[in-house]
Amino acid sequence: MRLGWEYELAGFCGLGLHLKLDGFRLIYVGIAALMWAVSGIFSTEYMAHYKSKASYYCFFWITFFATIGVFLSADLYTTFIFFEMMSFTSFVWVIFDGTRESVRAAKTYLSVAVIGGLVMLMGLLLLQDLCGTLMMEELKEAAQRAVQEGEKARLYAAGACLLFGFGAKAGCFPLHIWLPKAHPVAPAPASALLSGILTKTGVFGIIVISCQIFGDDSWWGLLITGLGLVTMFLGALLAMFSINLKRTLACSSVSQIGFILTGVGMYSMLAAAGENPVLAARGAFLHMVNHSFFKLTLFLCAGAVFMNLHQLDLNEIRGFGRRKPVLAFCFAMGALGISGVPLWSGYASKTLLHESIVEYGHLAAKGLAPLKGIGGAPLFWIGAEWIFLLTGGMTVSYMLKLFIAVFIERHPFRQEEFDKQRASMSPVSALALLIPAVLIPFMGCTPAWTMDYLAQMGQTFFGLREMEHKVHYFALENLKGGGISIGLGVLLYCFVIRRYLMREITSDHPHATSGQEDKAMEKEYVDRWPGFLDLEDRIYRPLLLTFLPGVWGALCSWLDRYLIPAAVSVFLAVSSLICRAMDHLSDSIIVLARYTTHRPLQEKRVHIPSAREERFRNRERAVFRLGYLVEESFSFGLMLFCLGLCLTLGYLLYEFFRF
Amino acid sequence: MNQVLLCVPALLPLAGGMGLLCFGLFGRQAERDRREKGLFWYAAIITLANSLVLWWLIFRTGEGERFVLFRLYGELKVMFCLDKMGKVFAGMISVLWPLAVLYSFEYMKGEKRNVTFFSYYLMTYGVTAGIALSGNLMTLYLFYELLTLATFPLVLFPMTKEARRASRRYLYYSIGGAAFAFLGLVFVLTFSSTGNTVFLPGGILDLGKANARKNTLLFIYLLAFFGFGVKAVVFPCHRWLPLATVAPTPVTALLHAVAVVKSGAFAILRLTYFSFGTAFLRGSWAQWAVMAAAMATILYGSTMAVREAHWKRRLAYSTISNLSYILMASAMMSPLGLAAALCHMVAHAFMKICSFFCAGAVMHQTGKTYIYELDGLGRRMPVTFGCLTVASLSLIGIPVFAGFISKWSIAGAAFHCGMESLESFGKWGVLPFAAVAVLLYSALMTAMYMLTVVIRGYFPGRESTSRKALPSVSGTDLSEGQREEQPGGQDGNLDPGWNMLLPLVVFAVVILVLGLHSQPLTKLLTVIGGEAA
Repeated sequence: MRLGWEYELAGFCGLGLHLKLDGFRLIYVGIAALMWAVSGIFSTEYMAHYKSKASYYCFFWITFFATIGVFLSADLYTTFIFFEMMSFTSFVWVIFDGTRESVRAAKTYLSVAVIGGLVMLMGLLLLQDLCGTLMMEELKEAAQRAVQEGEKARLYAAGACLLFGFGAKAGCFPLHIWLPKAHPVAPAPASALLSGILTKTGVFGIIVISCQIFGDDSWWGLLITGLGLVTMFLGALLAMFSINLKRTLACSSVSQIGFILTGVGMYSMLAAAGENPVLAARGAFLHMVNHSFFKLTLFLCAGAVFMNLHQLDLNEIRGFGRRKPVLAFCFAMGALGISGVPLWSGYASKTLLHESIVEYGHLAAKGLAPLKGIGGAPLFWIGAEWIFLLTGGMTVSYMLKLFIAVFIERHPFRQEEFDKQRASMSPVSALALLIPAVLIPFMGCTPAWTMDYLAQMGQTFFGLREMEHKVHYFALENLKGGGISIGLGVLLYCFVIRRYLMREITSDHPHATSGQEDKAMEKEYVDRWPGFLDLEDRIYRPLLLTFLPGVWGALCSWLDRYLIPAAVSVFLAVSSLICRAMDHLSDSIIVLARYTTHRPLQEKRVHIPSAREERFRNRERAVFRLGYLVEESFSFGLMLFCLGLCLTLGYLLYEFFRF
Repeated sequence: MNQVLLCVPALLPLAGGMGLLCFGLFGRQAERDRREKGLFWYAAIITLANSLVLWWLIFRTGEGERFVLFRLYGELKVMFCLDKMGKVFAGMISVLWPLAVLYSFEYMKGEKRNVTFFSYYLMTYGVTAGIALSGNLMTLYLFYELLTLATFPLVLFPMTKEARRASRRYLYYSIGGAAFAFLGLVFVLTFSSTGNTVFLPGGILDLGKANARKNTLLFIYLLAFFGFGVKAVVFPCHRWLPLATVAPTPVTALLHAVAVVKSGAFAILRLTYFSFGTAFLRGSWAQWAVMAAAMATILYGSTMAVREAHWKRRLAYSTISNLSYILMASAMMSPLGLAAALCHMVAHAFMKICSFFCAGAVMHQTGKTYIYELDGLGRRMPVTFGCLTVASLSLIGIPVFAGFISKWSIAGAAFHCGMESLESFGKWGVLPFAAVAVLLYSALMTAMYMLTVVIRGYFPGRESTSRKALPSVSGTDLSEGQREEQPGGQDGNLDPGWNMLLPLVVFAVVILVLGLHSQPLTKLLTVIGGEAA
């Protein structure tokens, strides 16, 4: 499917804006519109009790505009401009609550955004200098030309900078730190958008650079795949350990972004091996779309919980969802979708991604992979496949943990209070929430119809045309992969989460209605994630806040304090030394003269003044004294002035009479 | 066109200021207070008239029109002319000055010695216009010295101990620097191919003669660079600026963020591109030395700004680092470099004067000068902090604001210069790439030191209440109290009066417009760069 709509606003913001609409962009603009509509409706209830609603809505809609701009951009410069706008306006969402934690989280978000944006800017400059263009369509040829000219290293540098920038927004592994911090404190509709669509703008950029610049580069593909695998695994691990509803969802976002990145990386790998990378491309794209819907649903459900309880801790909110069918249904749809259960949409995209890894594994086993070393080793790909399946299992386990905690378990002492409240949100919000919740199973049940159609529209963006054969989503081979994941997930839930991540409550809570709960209720969730593994607190913050300004600042202030004064005192010392030396020089001449030519007389004649002389001297002294007095007085000055006037007058008269 | 007009913008405010100084000081205090209104009109009319003349000149002056005011000795003439680069500078100050005068009228209201203040403020306008209009290095040097003398009383104005100290240091540094600049003047005159010091695009050195004494001349260039660099606050000569923030805010904002420091940078641009010439300097060790000095200054300025807790001093450090952006771009010695330098000169003028005026507005309204005192002011001074936000984002280099355009062109120039230098001059060509890294670091630090102010202003960070309060299921009743955005009793708008707000808003709008529609400016600057290098 081809859509031809392009628009250029030349000269705007420096280089001009280029916008374009094609299948991929159309779908994402549509999703963005849907997501903003749903969360906008939800916001009216969620934000009802906030004071400065106007500023929230202002930034809410500016971000919408900027996000649409990112997805419509036809050149990376336009992408960058809208991307930065989006980062800064969405920052206000995170800080909106104004509490100390949200300010801290927002600062983290902002610094990641600023650093990412700056590095991306450098990448853009490098790329423009190298290729002479930033138009996405022309990049492919320009990059090939640059490679032929032997500029590969610089191309990699540019690509790495861009990857850093986009990866920071996407939540890719070492830069994922903002997601778990920002989501719990942001308003829920904002979290849904942050996770559902703002991270996708980062993925959008990574797709552009991977497909256009490094479309057939195995090393690049390996890098992205590796990052994707690490991100998905660690994200899922964090999510399993987390005991905060929104934080778990945020970590889950990190993990799902890892899935998408793996697909993007596999695209480059397969293309470099000469295969048709359509499986990977479709998998990545569909998982993007699916994840947007999942996170919209799940975060809004979390919002509904928070709206009522102002709590997100699993121990505090457990049991809240009992007897709330709408909420439970929506949450279940999201959870089943994201876990990759067959008949829900996540299953289809995960199957495609899994297939692409398996495909490359076969190539590697046959020795057809272009990469030598670890990237071409069959064992590596078997490992990758198992990480993929294991992460799928972990997804199942943490979603189970959330669902069981909120909707099945009972609260130790507030359960009656919870049960009395039948509606967790207004009917309008519930309707809005039902839209994405219904879409998930709908798409999942009809993958060959809906999902393939979407993929067909989207894959032109990856530079692909047609698929050779149709994927049978519900074939036994594919179901097996899904089954392994789900089985692993249930095992993980039973043996890791129930055993290791929960503990028995020893002391009775004063409010607990004792005796009525069964044994499971006396367990509580504990956060067993070791604190020293926090990348942000251990590395980034000290580096940025203490180390860099500390070291540089100490150096600078030391220079400031001592450089100039030291220079001045050295100058003064040297010059005074020279002056002293010259002073001594003249002294030495005198001394020399005294010893040689002007030797003082040996015998001194004593002069005794006579009386006349004495009188004369006294007279002389009196005259001098008078002279001093006269000279120093004002009247003497006037007198001299008069004298001067007289002389001038005389001179004038003389001149006058001469002619 | 009557070429005599070329000397008007320089001499009119000078004469006006001196007249004010002579006649305004007579009379008793009560009488002088009554004259304050008249003082306003006097200063406003002279400033406006001068700006109008400047704009008229900008549009009507053709290339090569010159006016010799008088001849000092031989070929040493005091000569005015207005070429394209001068037009950029003149246009910039002619917009800023009337607005700054408007601002200072509210800011300085109630001061005892307003006559002194405004007379020197006017004189500085004339001197700065003289720098923009000067047609040769001699004239530039003359006005450069005059600038020191005209601004010195303004630094001294508060008459406190710190002000005395600051002004003394300012004087030492400036006069010392001018001595070095004078050396440059002498050598340019000696090695000039035209026999005088006139500014010509591409420089006036007699290359045959100059190349025979290349190292001496390069050394002299370096000395002159640091000489003029005193006003442009290059690293070892920067120490006067943070101290000079004791002066009243209109002075710090207009003079120490724009007029004085930009005059230094402008003089360096003139020296590099119009006297020595890039053909002579490109690829020499002097170029790398100058570039390294600018880079060191950027690192220094931005780091110190992060460490500084006094708001105006922090902005002063930021000025130090941003002025070196200009110098670093000019050290690329390429057409792109000159264009980028001028672009940042214009953009930074608006951003920094806007941030200083915001700081001044806060000081004037609340008396707060330290950053940790600003908690929650953003909601009480919405217009001021709105403008500050625009200026801050622009200073970091966020798209749609002017700072982004200039930063983009500086980095572009650096990359371009690096590519060429690597091919032609070997390993030193790495330096421009390092310049990009420096730019990156500095932008990060800028984000830290500017945004902390804004975030403090808007979101002081209150204790989370949701943890402590017993959660209620019904939600609505408790959340009224919980969701309160600001502590009570702090309402009430604190924004200053219209004549302080108007300049702020105008500057913020200019920043936005320059960012959104930069094409006319960048086109003009590209032409200038193409001619001169």
